[in-house]
Amino acid sequence: MPEDARSGPMLLAENAELRAQLEGAEETLRAIRNAEVDALIIESAAGPRVYTLQGVDSASNRFRGEILAQVSDAVIAVDGQQRVTYANAAAERQYGLGPSRALGQLLSKMYETRWLHPGDDTAAETALRERGEWRGENVHVRQDGRKLHVESSMTVLHETVGQPAGVLAVIRDISDRKQAEDKVRISEIRYRRLFEAAQDGVLLLDPDTCKITDANPFMTKLLSYAHNELVGKELYEIGLMKDEGASLEMFRKLKSEHHVRYEDLPLKSQGGRHQEVEVVANLYDENGRAVIQCNIRDITERKRTEEHNKLLMAEINHRSMNLLAVVQAVAHQTARSGDPASFVARLFDRIDGLAASQDLLIKNQWEGVDLGDLVEAQLAHFKDLIGARVMLDGPPVRLTPEAAQGIGMALHELATNAGKYGALSNDDGRVHISWQFGTANEPVFLMSWSEEGGPPVAAPTRKGFGQMVIGRMVEAAVDGASEIDYRESGFSWRLRAPFAGTLQKGRLASSAGGVRG
Amino acid sequence: MPTSAFGTARCELMSAATVAGANAYYILRLYITGTTLQSTRAILNIRKICEEHLEGRYELEVVDISQHPKLAMSEQIIAAPTLIKRLPLPLRRFIGDMSQTERILLGLDLRAAANRPSAGSS
Repeated sequence: MPEDARSGPMLLAENAELRAQLEGAEETLRAIRNAEVDALIIESAAGPRVYTLQGVDSASNRFRGEILAQVSDAVIAVDGQQRVTYANAAAERQYGLGPSRALGQLLSKMYETRWLHPGDDTAAETALRERGEWRGENVHVRQDGRKLHVESSMTVLHETVGQPAGVLAVIRDISDRKQAEDKVRISEIRYRRLFEAAQDGVLLLDPDTCKITDANPFMTKLLSYAHNELVGKELYEIGLMKDEGASLEMFRKLKSEHHVRYEDLPLKSQGGRHQEVEVVANLYDENGRAVIQCNIRDITERKRTEEHNKLLMAEINHRSMNLLAVVQAVAHQTARSGDPASFVARLFDRIDGLAASQDLLIKNQWEGVDLGDLVEAQLAHFKDLIGARVMLDGPPVRLTPEAAQGIGMALHELATNAGKYGALSNDDGRVHISWQFGTANEPVFLMSWSEEGGPPVAAPTRKGFGQMVIGRMVEAAVDGASEIDYRESGFSWRLRAPFAGTLQKGRLASSAGGVRG
Repeated sequence: MPTSAFGTARCELMSAATVAGANAYYILRLYITGTTLQSTRAILNIRKICEEHLEGRYELEVVDISQHPKLAMSEQIIAAPTLIKRLPLPLRRFIGDMSQTERILLGLDLRAAANRPSAGSS
């Protein structure tokens, strides 16, 4: 555009722009003269260059600044008003802030300080005031809420004249270390609890000295030794190994195989109590040091149970043989009487009776049978009549397995006969089953079966198997005597037996006990 | 560390900030040189001014020209510390340690125009 064609407003704007540039240049010169600037930027052929206008210390200051920028700990300087005057690259990373946001800000805007214990803040303040430095741990909460566990070292900065000018803090983030320490502490608590609450004895031993270094509470209980009495002792000294030689042999084996197991060792506690124990020992490395852990389990009860089971198996075998002999006799006798056509039915019926007694014995673990239960089991066919036409009357009595088998078979025969021919074969007959104890002078067990109201009774013309069961067989089972009466008004049966062999020892219930009816 | 990218949100702020007024949003950029005395002072002084007079409506970016000299050239910075008021318009620049609070407040239009002396800024 030609010069003369410029409009008035344009000239004014150009004038204002030139004036502003002049003022800017003057402002720059004023600031330089007043030493308010400390660097000039000059454009060169190699690009812009920064010239700092500082004293002789500038190079060393820059060197120090570069070192601080390289260190991995956060370094932050604040002035007297707690405003950030310096933050190195590590500090920017640690607190998630760039320098444009951190510098000049109040320190509290970078992070919030939380002290670990009451009074820590006052202690830090006092240390800085009196000694000019403080070192300690606390928690810094970043602006994004993340918590850092830090270890800080703070030093008071001074102006050249000696007045405090701020504080320099070197802050190390120890969150990972703390987390690892917490994990170790939790693990220690957890395994210490396992060690102390274990229901097995645990011993820790030094493989070099063969001496106990620690023992859990269960071990002290097992051996009746106090903890301090166990520590320092060798295994043979606490009765776990029979002698020093056996103990040394165990250590030798452990060192070569790292594991030993003794299934069954006799252990004698300080009080002289004998126990059976199982010992499992392992040699392992604990932070470069070999340690032996010995687990000792009291297996006295288990051994007792094993013995009991062995006896029980032998007893079952013996009883099974007996039972088979009885079944054989029953089959033989059943075959001899009655017609062959009904043999199977009669045999099955009698075996059912045997099975009912057997069932009760097994339920009671072969430790006797309650007589009331036995009567109810054998009279299962007449269950609905019990209490109405079949009356039971007697104190609680526990029979030996042999007596239960004999009396059970007798009751079965008596009930079968009553149902076929006697008081339970019509609608009105009644059966009274009672049992009682004799007097103190005569310690006998008495039992009776009395029928009434049934069809007229006639004595059998020949003796069948049933009579043998309620006679000779039951007498043999209880070592007693029986009586049979075929009165026309009603059949009756009585049994008289000594306590021994009939009543279960220690299971004789009080005669004042409940009465069945 | 300079931040030169302008996000969408920032553009919205810019358009609002171009309208001068009591509630205008300020975008300021301070050029410094490392941890020198004047630079440290300039940062502290301008932060104080912003917190006292522009709380909640400013963004202050601190650019270290010793780390990023080319950024200084793009805004024709010839000395440090220099503060540039980028928004609200007009663009203004202040040189020095920002210790002359009244002069800065006037330049930032944070003082009544009637009291304004001859301009020390462009």
